[in-house]
Amino acid sequence: MSDLTRGNVPIKSENDIVVARRVVRDVATQLCFGVTDVTRVITAASELARNVFLYAGEGVMRWCTFDRAGAVALELTFEDDGAGIPDIELAMKPGYSTSRGLGLGLPGAKRLMDEMEIHSEVGNGTTVTVRKWLRK
Amino acid sequence: MTNQNISLVKVRDTVLVTMPADPDDVTVTTFQEDVLGAMEKYRPKGLVLDISGVETFDSFFARTITETSRMVAMMGGQTVITGMHPSVAITATQLGLTLGGILTALTVDRALDLLAHPHPRRRLR
Repeated sequence: MSDLTRGNVPIKSENDIVVARRVVRDVATQLCFGVTDVTRVITAASELARNVFLYAGEGVMRWCTFDRAGAVALELTFEDDGAGIPDIELAMKPGYSTSRGLGLGLPGAKRLMDEMEIHSEVGNGTTVTVRKWLRK
Repeated sequence: MTNQNISLVKVRDTVLVTMPADPDDVTVTTFQEDVLGAMEKYRPKGLVLDISGVETFDSFFARTITETSRMVAMMGGQTVITGMHPSVAITATQLGLTLGGILTALTVDRALDLLAHPHPRRRLR
């Protein structure tokens, strides 16, 4: 395992979704997350990485680990320069999808993680940040 | 590119499919074609899908599986999913996934029992 504090994974093909999952698995496991939390974080990463590929064609997943008041967190940021999300509230509604999907990616990822922030501007891409705190 | 093999074995009246641990999207799509091809070739009563190795059950994977089971049902077969890890069951439920009425069993043994003696109230919708 290389640098355990930050890194990034370019998302340019469907196979990069698998690469993103593997990196997240390695980082979350090394941080000593329990098996269920590791699975939650990997699954959320899989949904968000697929969104990047599906809606923007390409982008990047940045990950970092940090410490705040003695608590450790894993943060994942998914950035793309795609078309953006016109209505974030609608996009967060379970079952809503502009593709052929189930419409569970964004709302599901939010439930699986502890925190989520979305910044999106039509024509200027989307940034989704999620965090999971390590429970002691 | 990764090249992941899907194991597909005919056991008596059943086709047993084992999914790789971390399938990419191409593998998941190939799975659908392989399974339907095996239905035609072996003419089994059912399909047992062993996901005991699968660690990431995301919405794409769930959609492919429910779609495949519907296609198998259209061809006249029954699908049983088996071997789901506790962490996968927790995550899939929180994500909001359902298996759309596909039969599930804890072990391959029980899946085979289920196909041999289908419970009348637990038919595929």
